[in-house]
This record gives sequence, C-alpha cells and structure tokens, in this order.
Amino acid sequence: MNQGAARLRGVARWVFLLPAIGYVLFAFAVPVIYNVVLSFEQTSPATIAHLTAPFAGLSNYTTTLKDPIADSAIVRTFSFTVLSLLFQFLIGFALALLFSLRFPLRTLARSLILVPWLLPLLVTGVIFKFLFQLQAGAVNQVLLDLHLVHQPVGFEVDPGWAYLTVLITNIWIGVPFFTVLLYSALQDVPPELMEAARIDGAGPWQRLVRVTLPVIRPVVEVVFVLGFVFTVKVFDVVIGLTGGGPANSTQLIATWAYNLSFQEFDYGAGAALNTVLLLIAFVAAPLYIWLNRASLRGDAR
Amino acid sequence: MSAATRRRRIGLGLRPRRLAATCASLGALTALVVLLFPLYAVIVASFETNSQLFGASRYSFFPSRFTLSNYRVVLSEQGGHVVSSLIVALGTAALTLAIAVPAAHALARYRFRVTALLAGSLLVAQILPSIVIANSLFLVYHRLHLLNSYLGLIIADASYAVPFGILVLRAFMLGLPRDVIAAARVDGATEWQAFSRVVLPMSRSAIITVALFAFLNGWGDFIFALTMLNGNTFEPVTLSIYTYIGEFSQNWGEAMALAVFAVLPAAMLLIAAQRYIAAGLTVGSVKG
Repeated sequence: MNQGAARLRGVARWVFLLPAIGYVLFAFAVPVIYNVVLSFEQTSPATIAHLTAPFAGLSNYTTTLKDPIADSAIVRTFSFTVLSLLFQFLIGFALALLFSLRFPLRTLARSLILVPWLLPLLVTGVIFKFLFQLQAGAVNQVLLDLHLVHQPVGFEVDPGWAYLTVLITNIWIGVPFFTVLLYSALQDVPPELMEAARIDGAGPWQRLVRVTLPVIRPVVEVVFVLGFVFTVKVFDVVIGLTGGGPANSTQLIATWAYNLSFQEFDYGAGAALNTVLLLIAFVAAPLYIWLNRASLRGDAR
Repeated sequence: MSAATRRRRIGLGLRPRRLAATCASLGALTALVVLLFPLYAVIVASFETNSQLFGASRYSFFPSRFTLSNYRVVLSEQGGHVVSSLIVALGTAALTLAIAVPAAHALARYRFRVTALLAGSLLVAQILPSIVIANSLFLVYHRLHLLNSYLGLIIADASYAVPFGILVLRAFMLGLPRDVIAAARVDGATEWQAFSRVVLPMSRSAIITVALFAFLNGWGDFIFALTMLNGNTFEPVTLSIYTYIGEFSQNWGEAMALAVFAVLPAAMLLIAAQRYIAAGLTVGSVKG
C-alpha cells in the first residue's frame, strides 16, 4: 500500500471520531469553561444579548456564597445525598437479598420493580406532590386511617416535613437502581463459598458480613459513586414536588442555581453556585474514572 | 434410620423453607405495593374530576365515580405536546446514535493517542450536572438562535446519552471477534463497509439499548425544556405537566391524565424491551 492510501485511511479513522469530538466540545467543554467565565462576570438581563459581560472579580462568589439560602442549599445537598444513598442502599440491598430467595412470581416482581426508575423524574415529583397533599392526600389518608396521626400532616407546607418528603421521594426513585445492581452482584457470589462458610458453622449474619459483602464490594463501590454523582445534582424531583419551597426549605444547589439564573436573571451568580457543583463533580471524577478503569484499559490492540 | 424419622427430617427441612418463601413473597408484595402504588394512583386519578382530587374531604383509594373528561381535554389540547415529546425523544435517539456508534467503533478498533483521554473525558461528561450545561447553553443558544428550536433542545438532551452511549458501545464492540472484521477487510471491504456491514449488524443489541436510553432521556427531559423553551413554539409533555401544577393552577385531573401519557412510553418499552433496559441498567446508566 502506498503512503497516500495509508494517510487516507488515517484520515478516515478520524472521520468516525469527529462528530463525537465536536459534540463533546460543544455540549460539555464549552459549557464548563463558559460557566467559569460567567461566574467572574457582572451579568444582567441586558448582557444576555452578548456572550461576554463586564469583569466582576470575585463578587459573584462573595455575594452568592454569603447568602444564607445558598449556604443552607449546599449543606442540604450533602445531607440529602448522604441520607438518600444510605436508605437506597439499605432498602435496595434488603430487596436484592429478598429477590435472591425462591418464591412464586419473583421474575415478574423483579421486572416490575424497574417501573419507578423509568418514569420521567419531573412526573415522579408531580405524582408525589399529589400523594403528599395536605387535604385528600393518599399518604395522609393512610396515616389517618391507621390512627397514626389525628390531623393531616403538612408534608408540603411545613419546612421540616417538606425536606423529608423530597427525601422519601428520592429514595423511592433510587431503590430500583440499587436493587437491580446489587441483585445481579449477588448472583455472582459463588455458591461453593457460601456452602463452605455454612459447613464451617457460619450463621446467616456472619455469611452476609464475612462472605457476601466482601465479594460484592466492587459493585457496592460503583453503585455508591454513581448514586453520589447523580444525587448531588437532583433537580427535577424538587421542582416538581416543592419548587424549592416552602420558604426555600427544600432548595438544593441545582435548584437554587436555577433560581438565580432563570428567575432572577443573574447568570453570573447562578454560574458561581454552579461552580460548587462542578467542583464536587471534579472531586468525584478521579474516583469515578478509577472505578471504571477496566473500561479504559480495554485499549484497541 | 426408620421411614418415620426420615419423613420428619424432610418435613423439618422443608417447613422453614416454605415459611421463608412465604415471608419472601409477602415482603416482595409489600415492596411492590409501595413501589407501584403511585402509578395506580395516577391512573385512577386520571379518571376523576378535579373536585374529587383537590380540596376533597378524603382520599379515596377506590373511587366510585369515574369520568373521561380529563382525557377528552388532554387529547384535544395536549395532543400537540405529546407529538413534540415524540419528536424530541426520537431526535435525541437519532442524534445519539449518529454520534456514538461511529465514535465507539473508532475507539474500539483503532489505536489513537487520545483514546484514554477521550474515554476519560466521556466519564467526566457523564457526571456533569445538567444545570451547569443548561446555564451556559442558554446564553450560547441565545446568540445562535437555537432557543425554542427542536434542534437546540435535541442537542442538549443528547448530553445525557452520548457519553453513556459511546462507552457502552465501545465496551461491546471491543468484545466482537476481530477476525471477522479483518476477514472483511481482506475480502476487499472498505473501512466504511466493514463498519456498516459487519460491525453494525453484530452490535445490534447494544445499539438498541443505547437508542432506548436516549429515547427515554429525551422523553423525560425537563431541565433543558424548562430553561430553553418559552412555550411559544412547542412544549414537551413534561413541561405541560409542570405548567398544569404550577404556582397558579392545581388542575390535578388533567395533569394526571397527561402524566399517564408521559408514563406510557416507559411502560411500553419495559414490556417490549425489558432485556435491553436491564442490560443498560447493569452497565451503569442513570438519568441525571
């Protein structure tokens, strides 16, 4: 083969890759860089017409991050993420163990469990807003019928309850994901290992802690990291359920950044708060890449 | 060992197992009721009047009166929004495949100096918060006149699925037998023919998985629709539901009928293509 043909083939290879490179630059690299630029600019509705605005130094950061609403949104995002993951894991793991047992219709049950995960997140938020209504809400009706409460609970109007309501909804959304991944990990635990532990006299709890958990640990790590990066940026559920209220009691970083940019038209302030989200993402990124190292190592031979 | 003791042993061996199976069934049933009740509630509510749903004295689990009026209103007023959602979802799937399939092929088959860098940045792209992308793209789109356009929304919506798609397809294509592709090249096929006639057909199942996820992402997207559309040109279903239950209205009956439409594709895909969805889930895809 002559040199020209070889070069042509080299070009052809890049043609396959070019749309992806163009897309990654336009939809990811540009927005990230532009977000950082914006966060140092004095933006206003008038500056939308241009891509740049006057330099503002650190003022977006100082004003935004000094704001108590933003501060509590940041703290709340972390507590929300930790509590979501904790309960998603506990419930998901319990269900995964349950589905590993033999019982009638377990295949059907396993596929039905996916349903909540497939709903558009905004729709889930709206559905739960309906279920948690003060008057004629299904959840309140159950609590009243069981005589657990005497008055309907203000799930959406009481700031403390609103946070819990969004949290419960988010746990509900994530449980299928945890269940399915942990279930498939459980299927990979060698039965011989369990049998050996049983013969050695290990009880069910010991087998769980000493055999099952160490074997499925890699999957647990992946599920937690994935769960973390996707819970930190929760948006749709909050907007659909509470809109961040009442009295900003359910604002998370993403919803408050949206509010700054798209309700108050202060794109620079929104970008400054977004930078906090970006920092969290970039701190999690090396861990995420490390957990996915197998997919990177699969280099073309 | 006498027959009687043996029977008792078997009996003792079986009884706890049957008890465990019963408990497991009950546990699974409880979990399913909790996980699926919201769906039941939506379907039932979509057949009720607004006065039954909002401000009523109690929630009725089995309402006695049903109406079709919500569906009548939704079908006459919201049909266009369902079509818009379909266009966005199909467009997102098409764009995702057009970008991800060739790229995955190149990354699986050829050695580039940038392969590791690109794969790494795709992983990072996967975890970037959508609100960051939305905030920047809104201003960029404003300049490019892409706000309120299908193209602009589809490009933004594909940001969920493109990184996922490339990584999943590449992993799948790395597993394809290289001899078959090499044989096609020896037989005189061009690079393009080897890709379109050999790699594409063999990657069918992975392509379907990626297309399904891209479709569901486009269908379910809310944040990009909320930030990039003002509702004057077109509006996907998620945005319509949000406006139904916005600050100024509490029209639950119609919102719930519309929610049924919003849920339909997911439910149908789950029935029709469950193995592809389960496959996508286990390779680590989450919406965001």
